[in-house]
Amino acid sequence: MTYAIETEGLTKVFKKAWSKKEFRAVDGVSLRVERGATYGLLGPNGAGKTTFVKMLLSCSHPTAGLAKVFGMDTRTRPARQPIGYLPENHRFPTYMTGRGMLDFYAALSGMDSGSRKKRIPELLDIVGLNQWGNTRLGKYSKGMLQRVGLAQALMHEPLLLVLDEPSDGVDPVGRRQIRDILHALEQKGVTIFLNSHLLVEVELFCRDVAIIQNGKVALEGRVQELTAGSGYTVEAEGVPEQLATELRTRAKSFSQNNGSLAVLFGDRETANQAVDLLRAERCDIEKLGRVNSTLEEVFMRTVSGK
Amino acid sequence: MANRVVVQTSALIVDTFREASARKIIWGFFGCSTALILFVLLIVKIDIVAGTLATVTFFGNTGRTQDVNQLVRQAHAGVAAVLYGFGMLLAVLASAGLIPTIFEPGRIELLLSKPVERYHILLGRYAGNLLLIALNIFYPVLALWIIFGWKTGIWTPGFLWGSILTLFMFAVYLSVVLLIGVLWESAVVATMVTFGLMIISVILYNRVGIAKLLSSELSRNIVRSLYYALPKAVDIGQILRQIVMGQPIESWMPVWSTALFGLVCLAGGVYVFQRKNY
Repeated sequence: MTYAIETEGLTKVFKKAWSKKEFRAVDGVSLRVERGATYGLLGPNGAGKTTFVKMLLSCSHPTAGLAKVFGMDTRTRPARQPIGYLPENHRFPTYMTGRGMLDFYAALSGMDSGSRKKRIPELLDIVGLNQWGNTRLGKYSKGMLQRVGLAQALMHEPLLLVLDEPSDGVDPVGRRQIRDILHALEQKGVTIFLNSHLLVEVELFCRDVAIIQNGKVALEGRVQELTAGSGYTVEAEGVPEQLATELRTRAKSFSQNNGSLAVLFGDRETANQAVDLLRAERCDIEKLGRVNSTLEEVFMRTVSGK
Repeated sequence: MANRVVVQTSALIVDTFREASARKIIWGFFGCSTALILFVLLIVKIDIVAGTLATVTFFGNTGRTQDVNQLVRQAHAGVAAVLYGFGMLLAVLASAGLIPTIFEPGRIELLLSKPVERYHILLGRYAGNLLLIALNIFYPVLALWIIFGWKTGIWTPGFLWGSILTLFMFAVYLSVVLLIGVLWESAVVATMVTFGLMIISVILYNRVGIAKLLSSELSRNIVRSLYYALPKAVDIGQILRQIVMGQPIESWMPVWSTALFGLVCLAGGVYVFQRKNY
């Protein structure tokens, strides 16, 4: 099977010129992103996410390992043909108009003049900037630059979209608009690789996720699976002190207030046993349910190592 | 494939022109060139009678000379010297900012993510700069050549050939700007190094005199080696004058050795750019 992105032991070591000290920004990362997947790359600042993305795009050369895009070595020019990229902290030339910028980057992607002329108004319309096409980018707001940047990444109808903080500086309406555009692309089978600090955004949009820490993959999997099965919550009233103490020893978290008890158990069996004990003492069960982790909790647990 | 390369190269060249236009560089050059053309057009008044120069008027002062051909060639040589000296300084100053700007963080990543070879990006930008300056050299040269030809009936091609030599010298300096730009990503450093080379070429032109002042043979050899290795702006300036004046060229060594220096800088810039991490 050919993956949209496939890396094998991808490593990037930076050496200081004078002291010869080494810094392993990316350390043997092996990832596989299926075609058509929506994949989120997470990690704390300095974890190696941007260096990883730069190696995918051949902006940075790997020290060791291999990266492939649709089976092609990323160091070769054809591997970059199916990629649309929106960098973080982009600096689009301010002397260009929105239309001119789209035309320039599309030409660099190899699109002929006719196709560019047809595609530019379509994309300006999709990102809601059709009134701004002839305005210089220097007059655009941050949110508008993000949207025109996204349009730039979509000009040559890429099969793989690599987005670095796409919602950065975008207002909630614009953020929703970007998410809708990405959902439409997902429906068309475009693979979307999202590098974002906004965990909620990744959780809402991505099917798969990898968390990078200290240059290594600390956790990888389906968002649904990683956030599932965090525990079972039981809330009851009129709990005797002796039983409360007993339940506390079995709980992941525990809170008590005026005889009202809220306990989180790690597994279903312990929760069932707790319910049996509470019912045996004729306590009133107020709430019983399964609690999923948020991606933020998964992220925090992963990066803190707890 | 060929079409893709043409589309990408044109985009890189047009982008250089757009940036130069936004920075008012094109308009600055155009204004200077037009002022020079108008200046010559208005101040020079030449009367020819039966193929012989009757009078020449400069700033209202009228003089006489017999050799029209010589006068035109001298006027051509004067303009060529201004373009070669002052024009070169302006051209380097203007271009030094246009190459390192593409290495700005946030801009270079996007360029490199496109299906274009790195050397193509760099050489496309180089070609854009060269074309920009070529237009700014050929515009006044062609206009003045026509004005002098129209006023005197003398159409010597030396002036036109000389402008190619001016462009050649600029191409060599631009390759230095490119190499320094790739290495240090700074327009200021690129300008300083290029101007430094210009000054050194003037000093090394007097290598014979300098060698007499040096006591050790090693120092003299270093000076001689530097002379042969570095661009020879003064020597090429003299060749330019000889071409314009229709005189024979004694040696083309300054041209080919300077071309070699330019090629080494260009190749070095491309090599470093190919290997660099952004």
